[in-house]
Amino acid sequence: MENTMKFEKVSFCKRVKSMLKVDLRRMFKSKLFYILIACALVMPILMTVMMSMMDGQESVNQQTGEITIMEGPENAWQNIGTLPGGEAMGGNEVFMMCNINMAFMGVAVFVCLFVSDDFRSGYSKNLFTVRTKRGEYVLSKIVCGFITGALMLIVYFVGSMLGGAISGLSFDLHGLNAWNIVMCMLSKILLMPVFVSIFTLISIAAKQKAWLSICGSLGGGMLLFMTVSLITPLDSTPVNAILCLAGGLLFAIGLGFFSRAVLRKTALV
Amino acid sequence: MNAVEIKNLSKSFGPKQAVCGLDMTVPMGAIYGFIGENGSGKSTTEKMICGLIPTGGGSIKLYGKDYTDESVRTKMGVLIEAPGCFPGLTVFDNMMIQAANLNIENSVKEVTRVLKTVRMEGAAGNKYKNCSLGMKQRVGIAMALLGDPTLLVLDEPLNGLDADGMRIMREVFLNIVKDGKRSIIVSSHLLGELQKVATHYGIIRHGKMIVEMTADELDASCRTYMALQSAEMNRTKMLLGCRYSRVEEDEAGYIRVYDLTTPEEIVTYLYENGVCVTEIKTDKIGLEEYYIDLMKGGK
Repeated sequence: MENTMKFEKVSFCKRVKSMLKVDLRRMFKSKLFYILIACALVMPILMTVMMSMMDGQESVNQQTGEITIMEGPENAWQNIGTLPGGEAMGGNEVFMMCNINMAFMGVAVFVCLFVSDDFRSGYSKNLFTVRTKRGEYVLSKIVCGFITGALMLIVYFVGSMLGGAISGLSFDLHGLNAWNIVMCMLSKILLMPVFVSIFTLISIAAKQKAWLSICGSLGGGMLLFMTVSLITPLDSTPVNAILCLAGGLLFAIGLGFFSRAVLRKTALV
Repeated sequence: MNAVEIKNLSKSFGPKQAVCGLDMTVPMGAIYGFIGENGSGKSTTEKMICGLIPTGGGSIKLYGKDYTDESVRTKMGVLIEAPGCFPGLTVFDNMMIQAANLNIENSVKEVTRVLKTVRMEGAAGNKYKNCSLGMKQRVGIAMALLGDPTLLVLDEPLNGLDADGMRIMREVFLNIVKDGKRSIIVSSHLLGELQKVATHYGIIRHGKMIVEMTADELDASCRTYMALQSAEMNRTKMLLGCRYSRVEEDEAGYIRVYDLTTPEEIVTYLYENGVCVTEIKTDKIGLEEYYIDLMKGGK
């Protein structure tokens, strides 16, 4: 009997393809994914409709007697970004935060639970026993997070338009054109890997502790959250998109390597 | 070439040294019973073999290649602690996920085959979270068997299995190694069950391999003893205790004499002292007793 064994090598493409296949299959079977997409659709509709209904309503402060007049949105695009010379969604500061950029925080929940599920269920044991290339795992998670984030942005956009139409808001672009809107959305989508790679790194470091990764990711995300509206304004040009693409790639590759190092240097169970 | 060759392996968690200079050799075609007390370093060693925790030193070779070599690792099956399945997915979906990880081409056929092997084909559509402990364990073993692995690392695979399940697993293990190339590392506290299939043993204590032997060597090392019963057990024990150095009463109610002697000698001695022996037999200690003896420090 021959005392040797032959082992086949699997190509990088085949390995990444199968890993992505697994993660995408899991992603599209996960309830969380659909809940987040549904939230991204419903939230802007509800917000726009409610804010429009409250427009012009007066509220009196019982102690000071001060009268506040609620300001609703004037334009459907305010849910996406600030119009030239105008404010984001209404005059209410809460709604300055609650716009399409919320998707960047929503995706944190998805990435954290998606990664921590691997470790909580013990699936990571099965996976990392037969897969030694940790970078492929990180790549796959970043791609899944990116797809979810991009879908959330697109759905939020659709929801905002629907909300605007239901509330009878103006769709006037104030001198901007459709190209700017496309570039704005493209920039936001291309910026998504920056956030996803941060969330992936935190989730991989926290492993099965989902609460820790969610808190860390939301905290870390908040630090960069305000920059999103600055980098991706409504009057974005291809330069914004290129900057976001460069940032996205830089973060995905850089933090991807960090994530890989964390996986290689720490216990996976 | 050996299936697994470990040299001077070590691992510590903070100040605690979990594995300390461990050497281990698993020949090709072996069912290697990996035995040790709780916390002795079995699982840590297995996790290091599977690349789940980084080693603290030493080397691990699988089929002559470094343990990080992906081509060898894709031919490994593993069940450590609990099966790694997503609770919300069905048994079949969980199996399909692992089949995809292993790049198995005809995955549906392969998943159906392994589920049939562990008699779980009827539960393929059940959600994993709704499976019983024994069923989950079978799923874990089925998952480890996916892709016809050359090396199986199983940590307590028999936990939660019923008698039929254990019998099936024995058949599965023996089938896997029958070509003489595939190997299995099994750690279990069910030493009686392990003894029925293991061809090699490794006993670990405080992170160190204290003995490695084949089943034949174990058989030769296991001492014979005389087990006897009489009408006056207490008196018999006292009399034997005066003459022989090691006399014990076992759980089945027999008095065991471990010294080198013959049944005739014992019966004559007791008869001369007025005790009538009702039953006497010669037997060998099993793996369990050998292990307990070893742990106590005497063999």
